[in-house]
Amino acid sequence: MLFDDNNFDYNFFNLANFNLTDPILTMNDDKLVSSKEGFLRGNMFKNEYVPYKNMTYKQLVSQNEKEELLFKVMEMNFAVNDLNLYLDIHPEDRMMYEKFKEYTNKLIAYKDEYAKKYGPLCLEETDSDNYNWYKNPWPWDNQGGSMYV
Amino acid sequence: MFKYMKTLNYPIDIKKKDLKMAKYLYTQFGGANSELAAALRYFSQKFTMPDDIGASLLNDIATEELGHVEMIATMIKQLTKNASVEELKAAGLGDMYSEHGYGIYPANASGVPFTITYVAVTGDPLADISEDMAAEQKARAVYENLIDLATDEDVIGVLLFLRQREIIHFNRFKELFKYYKKKGY
Repeated sequence: MLFDDNNFDYNFFNLANFNLTDPILTMNDDKLVSSKEGFLRGNMFKNEYVPYKNMTYKQLVSQNEKEELLFKVMEMNFAVNDLNLYLDIHPEDRMMYEKFKEYTNKLIAYKDEYAKKYGPLCLEETDSDNYNWYKNPWPWDNQGGSMYV
Repeated sequence: MFKYMKTLNYPIDIKKKDLKMAKYLYTQFGGANSELAAALRYFSQKFTMPDDIGASLLNDIATEELGHVEMIATMIKQLTKNASVEELKAAGLGDMYSEHGYGIYPANASGVPFTITYVAVTGDPLADISEDMAAEQKARAVYENLIDLATDEDVIGVLLFLRQREIIHFNRFKELFKYYKKKGY
């Protein structure tokens, strides 16, 4: 299913490794929403989300397997980006860094799977018999619903 | 250097033609508070941030904003798909058509070309970051105006996402401002 995270059973939150009295380290597990929710609403941080009026964010429905996998890539890319900005100004936050690494690993895995099945998202993923980077539709070319790349 | 990834930051799939909305959206493509202004502002300011924390934050937000420029242009393209010249004229896009045809030109909603004078670079970290915080608030307000003008859920969904990014960026810039203030700048 779309956004089903069950394939990934990462356990980066072994709190025994950390000093639990450190407020930064104990807080962050509760700081974030899931990558799925974060991506949909454009904000990974529980206490930073400010809705507009009474509006709720849009739910994404994938039309096919290709799109489902692409949404996964985009979701991970989003989570990595949002944590990246946070870590730039809070580089000492070790638990957030562990979360960042978790999402980075997922991004690499999904991107790799997508490239193997459907073609490159990044130039260096081009490894088919024929050069196909130029061939994949570009993100701005909407062809009726199910195409973002 | 920059590397391109063949996805948008957030999916855009607009099926309904809406030339009036396309015209309004130009404000975020080439207007004073546009994504283009944001990207160029942070990109230019990053070179004189006093340390790695400021340099990396401005660099990374500038990069994200460039992706948002692509998103806005993508929305304009999808909203104007298969539009006739008559339809463009009726929606107030005749002036744009006379000079740019179906091209997507960095201008604001009134057709005024983008100018880099929208952007300030002072070389002073507190002044630059204050401008960045203001820019994020102005862009948030503009997104709220655009959401008020929009009628299509497929458009509103994307605008809500982009609005939320302005809130996050503002918070990060605010933290950076406090950090430099504390360091004695």
